Amino acid sequence: MTVSLEMSGADASRPFIEAANATHWSLLDPMHQMDALFGVVNIPNIVWIDETGTIVRPAEPGWSPGDFYPDWLRAFLDERDAATEAKAAEVEATDPELAAKLRGGQDRDSYADAIRDWAEHGSESRFAMTPDQVVAGSQDRPKDKSAGAAHFEMANHLWSAGDRDGAIEHFREAHRLQPENWTYKRQAWSLVGNEAAGGGEMGRFNQGPLPGQEDDWPFEGTFTSEAGATPAGDYYPKTLNV
Amino acid sequence: MIVDSLDIDAEAFHAATGWEIKPEGACKGEVCVPLPNGFDLQPTTDLLGMAVVADESSGTWAIGPESLTGRALVTATAPEMVLNDVDGNEFRLSSMRGKKVVLVAWAPY
Repeated sequence: MTVSLEMSGADASRPFIEAANATHWSLLDPMHQMDALFGVVNIPNIVWIDETGTIVRPAEPGWSPGDFYPDWLRAFLDERDAATEAKAAEVEATDPELAAKLRGGQDRDSYADAIRDWAEHGSESRFAMTPDQVVAGSQDRPKDKSAGAAHFEMANHLWSAGDRDGAIEHFREAHRLQPENWTYKRQAWSLVGNEAAGGGEMGRFNQGPLPGQEDDWPFEGTFTSEAGATPAGDYYPKTLNV
Repeated sequence: MIVDSLDIDAEAFHAATGWEIKPEGACKGEVCVPLPNGFDLQPTTDLLGMAVVADESSGTWAIGPESLTGRALVTATAPEMVLNDVDGNEFRLSSMRGKKVVLVAWAPY
């Protein structure tokens, strides 16, 4: 089942859910409960739970074997990729180094094979972890990271109540206390970026200031600056060898 | 967990955090943390390593998740998670007992 970590309501996720034409539960998690409950720190992240309700793999980067995009996003990506091939040096929409960093770490193409192995072999699968391994393999969480989660939840609460400035203060604290948590960052950047872009289908993908509006950006970083500064392989750490 | 008062009862605490208050203490899965003086929010959050963040302007507090083991998970027992689907239908993770579950977190950004 899928869980969308998005604060701004069902309509933000609906086009993607409909494009997938899924027969499984497609859930909404506006409060990012997946982070607090399972230690999710980025998307996509996957958790495996067996028939007894025991976690057998803690939250880690993972992918399905196919992409399911709404038509408008597929058209944008195809146009961008075509433009990149034609004018690689001139197109700012794609940063080859950043793209390479985002592709590193966890292997995308084989992750589904691991799930299939577990589906077939259950607890005998070499990918199923013991309870002690699951706990030890979950994200580290000293108390200051608990505070980061609390600040994010408060930001969520205030943003929903219309207190934008109050929310941004708490988003900033969440980012400071949990710098490794990309869902906290990307959600905040997306909310403000979407505002700046005036909404629309692509507004939520705007995760930095628009040209000429850099002074209005209320956060320390942007998706491009922070993901770009992440060491290769760290954005989606490799936790699985298929 | 957002609260507008630090005077909440054990049932509300359990519903929001997954920590059930029993005679042996605060319990989640097979893990129990003794509560020497019974349930009281502030000492309980201290023992569980839950941060409490105040927002003066709104008069509310946010209680963060536990950190008593230094890991996000204190147990491999999956917590209860209650979410709605895109059409507003309520889902409970515990309803999937008896099936393998692959939870995929994603976002439309």
